Amino acid sequence: MKSYQLAWRNLWRNKRRTLITAASVFFAVFFALIMRSFQLGVYAKMYRDVIESYSGYLQLQHTDYLDESSLDNGFVLEQSLTEVIEADPNVTGVIPKLESFALAAAGSRTQGVMVIGMDPDNEQKTLNIKNRLIKYRLTPEATEALSGENLPSRTAKLVGVFSGEAWTDEKSLISDLGISDDDSAAVLPLFRKHASLENSYLTSADSGMAVIGYGLSRYLDAEVGDTLVVMGQGYHGVSAAGLFVIKGIVSMPNPEIDNAFVYITLADAQYLYAATGMVTSAIISITNTDDRELIQTQQRLAASCDDGLAIRNWKEMNALLLNQMEADNKSGAIMIGILYLVIAFGVFGTVLMMMAERRREFGMLVSIGMQKRKLAGIVGMEMLFIGLLGVMAGIAASLPIVFYGYARPLRFTGEMAKMYEEYGFEPVMPMLLPDTYYLWQAVVVLLILLVAISFSVRRIFKLNIINALRA
Amino acid sequence: MITSIAWKNVWRNRTRSLTVIAAVTVGVFAGVFAMAAINSSIVQRIDAAVNEELSHIQVNNPGFRGSSDIANVIAGPQKVVKVLDETPGVTHIAERIIVRGIASTSAGSAGVEITGIDVEKEQQMFTLNERLIPGTGSYFGTDTRLNSAFIGEKLAKELYIIRYILSEESFTTLEAEGVPAAVAAKLRPLENQRFTTEKKLTEAFSGLLTAKEAKLYGMKIKEAAWSYREGSKIILTFLDADGMQTGAAFRICGIFRTNNDFFEAMSLFVPRDELRRLTGMEEGQYHRIIARLEDNDQTDKASAAVKESLPGLEVMNWKQIQTDLAMIADYVNRIYGIFMVLILAALAFGIVNTMLMAVLERTRELGMLSAIGMNRRRVFSMIMLESIFLSIVGGFAGMAVSAIVIAITNHTGINLVKYAEGLEAFGYSAQLYPTIGADFFIMLTVMIVITGIISAIYPARKALQLNPVEALRGE
Repeated sequence: MKSYQLAWRNLWRNKRRTLITAASVFFAVFFALIMRSFQLGVYAKMYRDVIESYSGYLQLQHTDYLDESSLDNGFVLEQSLTEVIEADPNVTGVIPKLESFALAAAGSRTQGVMVIGMDPDNEQKTLNIKNRLIKYRLTPEATEALSGENLPSRTAKLVGVFSGEAWTDEKSLISDLGISDDDSAAVLPLFRKHASLENSYLTSADSGMAVIGYGLSRYLDAEVGDTLVVMGQGYHGVSAAGLFVIKGIVSMPNPEIDNAFVYITLADAQYLYAATGMVTSAIISITNTDDRELIQTQQRLAASCDDGLAIRNWKEMNALLLNQMEADNKSGAIMIGILYLVIAFGVFGTVLMMMAERRREFGMLVSIGMQKRKLAGIVGMEMLFIGLLGVMAGIAASLPIVFYGYARPLRFTGEMAKMYEEYGFEPVMPMLLPDTYYLWQAVVVLLILLVAISFSVRRIFKLNIINALRA
Repeated sequence: MITSIAWKNVWRNRTRSLTVIAAVTVGVFAGVFAMAAINSSIVQRIDAAVNEELSHIQVNNPGFRGSSDIANVIAGPQKVVKVLDETPGVTHIAERIIVRGIASTSAGSAGVEITGIDVEKEQQMFTLNERLIPGTGSYFGTDTRLNSAFIGEKLAKELYIIRYILSEESFTTLEAEGVPAAVAAKLRPLENQRFTTEKKLTEAFSGLLTAKEAKLYGMKIKEAAWSYREGSKIILTFLDADGMQTGAAFRICGIFRTNNDFFEAMSLFVPRDELRRLTGMEEGQYHRIIARLEDNDQTDKASAAVKESLPGLEVMNWKQIQTDLAMIADYVNRIYGIFMVLILAALAFGIVNTMLMAVLERTRELGMLSAIGMNRRRVFSMIMLESIFLSIVGGFAGMAVSAIVIAITNHTGINLVKYAEGLEAFGYSAQLYPTIGADFFIMLTVMIVITGIISAIYPARKALQLNPVEALRGE
């Protein structure tokens, strides 16, 4: 009989113990995987949101712009450089951007804002700000009007909770307000009637038009069609002032951006800031956004850049967000570490018991001529089997949940959703598909097993046959 | 009797019991300590919010907070002050004028909330004046009272008021800080060069030092080079009471540093009378009246009482202003509660295994006990007690260890400097002083006992299923 067969049969001599130990490993692996999948999935979504709505994957900037984001660190984007960049196989387009700080006023209200000038037609190829146009919102008047309508009780209550919120699509409105499929036919027309917002996106032909963040619109109490007065400091300290009619309102993912977002055409921005022909950066859109390919593209492009210009990737541009997510990531990793530590003790306890209980058996086997090395191999294999059983069961049980959570992300409703939205997060928790984090669980369990196996192997080699037989 | 038998049984197989106990100890310690650390960051955040940023209660014109419209002043401020004054627990009251505007220097500009304060009153209410960075001046020093502004470090950086220069003085500091002369000598080429950002300075000295030296002394070099021209001027631009753009130059009297980047970047304090003159507001007009309480626990009651006496005005306490803070505290506590349950569940596997072993290897003995008349209930409770002892000994050991470690780290602090940037952007300190309430330990003890009971059910049932006759024949 092969030793692995012996080991496998040995496992089932004490079925209960094997199953309980394997179950403890399963338990840790399963929870660790689910937790990681949620955590990493949420980070991935957050990064994607910021990249797609604001920074893009790569940007061409003045070398000092990352540290000193002022207009004075702007530059003239030469057509020849654009052509060189666009010639790169991974690059699909270059979107010049001019952005600077200003004070915006509507009526008697003022707020510091970030004025961003881009070419809308060009920009839409990469960013998806257009999808963030608001379709529904609960203004005080809309809340009032809806409370007079005949709404299902849960929705009526949630309309109160969500008063002031806005939605970019019907799906999230239905989810947030707990509208059931049966009710939707009767309820949705009411929302369309009272809470929908007519607005539209910028086009390249627009002049004197702006799209602003929802947070900003609320702050300034500004409506679509209202005029926004923008005042600030232009290039080299020239004073800048302009009037813009609000054409659309968008909901940006990060509240800091949402509360200060004013988007005008590039030509308007250059005129406003007296920076003719200048840009502060250019978003470079790429096809393959893989970490490795991204860095390689960045290096390739950097080599062809003039002196004084640099290519920045989204990680460099969003260092703060990355740092926050990493701190959160660490706390999650520590939690899982503690869980595994506890499981390790459990596994170790099982090994200890098994060794004590089978001392006589081991003594017998060795005395009738079994090599200690072979015996140690069998015992080691037994433990490996228990561990693998737990890991595989854990992975198997987690897979359907992870795939489901990826395809249909968990969406909070009601008060919980409101809390997330107040923090500036979309109340969605997508899961990340299996990735290296799956491998890590197996590695950790293997390490735990390694400690347990080395302990039992040492015990076997130190086994005194006479004493063992007497036991 | 059963109790003492159970206790002795636990120690019959010392190694096995100790393994389980050690597992419980480690699990409980890790869980409690993680909870204490996270709890402390929330406690510290609340402290900062109350003592530096918000105070306990605010009264605003109902339209003010949403718009910052200069015309939204409080109607009848004398009445508000009177009501607050008569509210039990209120110790300090101060009135503020607040306008939104832009602060700019020749190098940069930023949006700010300009708050006109009563300098003396607010010094008694807040600890912000203690947050002054040494060497940057003072909290409204006496002679430059007019036209002076007290601003946050983050804002100062955004306006490029703070620069990094390795002056002769910085080298003296470095020497005093214990930086080796060899390292200081390598830095000499940078002497008197100006760096506009921390990053540029880091790049410059990293080129001159070895990676190890840069890592070891980088912090100290940055601190030593941190410089600021005392009395730097900034221009504040805002709309006055008539809606006309106006502005004035202000001299910076001091720079403060907190753990909240957002607050540091937004806040700019100036003497109230100065702001009143510039905005053309009338005497006795205020946007916000704030009150400080003797004790934080009075917040809900006091703010409710004030709200009742002041219909038509917006009365809020810090919990209502920083709704996220109360929610996140609640949320984090729930997450860690679940985490604690997970740890205990993981421990339960170990206990079940050990107890099952203890029962099965004692088949003969248990058979004997029932044969000589020990009834089933007693056998059951004996096994139960053994399991509870295992968990509770480990649990108490874990709690004792965590209490000691928490006490020590509460004194020394845990430094998460690597994540300072990210944490401080949300207003959380990167220096943690773990702390946890006593009630948590009581709750945890209950949870541990329950874990012991649940894990004993299966082994104890197995013990009851033993047939005395067969059990005696066994082995």
